[in-house]
Amino acid sequence: MSIATFGDWLYATPVSTAIRETTWIIPNVQAIHILAIAIVIGSALATELRFAGVFATDRQPTDMLRRYLPWMRRALLVLLLTGLILLVAEPGRTLGNAVFWTKMALVAGASLVTLQARKALLRDAVTVEGGPALEASRPLAWLMVLIWCAIIFCGRFIAYT
Amino acid sequence: MSIETTLQQIYDLPLSSLIRENVNAFPVIESLHVLAVALVFGTILIVDLRLLGLAAHRPGVRRLIAELLPFTWAAFALAVVTGSLMFMSNALAYAANTEFRLKLVALALAGLNMAWFHSTAYRRIDRWDEVLPPPATARTAGLLSLLTWITVIFLGRWIGFTLEVVF
Repeated sequence: MSIATFGDWLYATPVSTAIRETTWIIPNVQAIHILAIAIVIGSALATELRFAGVFATDRQPTDMLRRYLPWMRRALLVLLLTGLILLVAEPGRTLGNAVFWTKMALVAGASLVTLQARKALLRDAVTVEGGPALEASRPLAWLMVLIWCAIIFCGRFIAYT
Repeated sequence: MSIETTLQQIYDLPLSSLIRENVNAFPVIESLHVLAVALVFGTILIVDLRLLGLAAHRPGVRRLIAELLPFTWAAFALAVVTGSLMFMSNALAYAANTEFRLKLVALALAGLNMAWFHSTAYRRIDRWDEVLPPPATARTAGLLSLLTWITVIFLGRWIGFTLEVVF
């Protein structure tokens, strides 16, 4: 079964039809999706800019992670759930869409780095100010801020491609 | 000169028709608008939750506000610019849209709430800077800010589903 036939099948399912035909569902789910990504970008900005050495430099990077990582995890879960509802409702808009798959690749990469690599950093406690691991992760921190911004941009742009 | 004439003049501006006629202009502007709004809410949320009594990454509220506000304002400026560009492209339609009007009201309330906070609780911040929970005025301001910004985001998304565009 190709992606296009899967999309057509999904579109015709009762659940997909029900979401589309209940007119208030999609706007509100999209609004919740934006609220959740705002939590992610706020947390990511504070954490990554600390890693980049330009924000809250008097605080330990581990303080930032402890504060913001649980929020990011929960917000990412909300994004996954609301995103799934939107995908089920309008599979044609996403499944054959290059911008959507670019966004998914960026989300997978950014989530993995955030939830795993940074957690390892936290566990190994090599985050002492000026430590070599922290120095080395500065370019990655800037890249992560850019990636989260690109993800949000792509998210809205999907509607037009 | 009536408001309709002014709105029609805005609609007729070369920049407005450029946004209407270029296929990529509106999508790019709207995507930047969502990015800006996410940054505004994401950074303001950290302060609002601290005002409600949830610990942030530092104990002092004054310094937390000082270090986050530049990001909030920069993102807000981008949101205003991109929002104005979208408005220009279809001024009459936006002006007639209920969700758009309510969104402006919600934004005004968010501004008033901020002004109220800065002229009350924030003036006495020395007394509660690192205190948890913060005083009732600060908690109220935090809650009102949270609610108005959530309303702004919901209304903003609803505009896209209710706007009757004119080409």
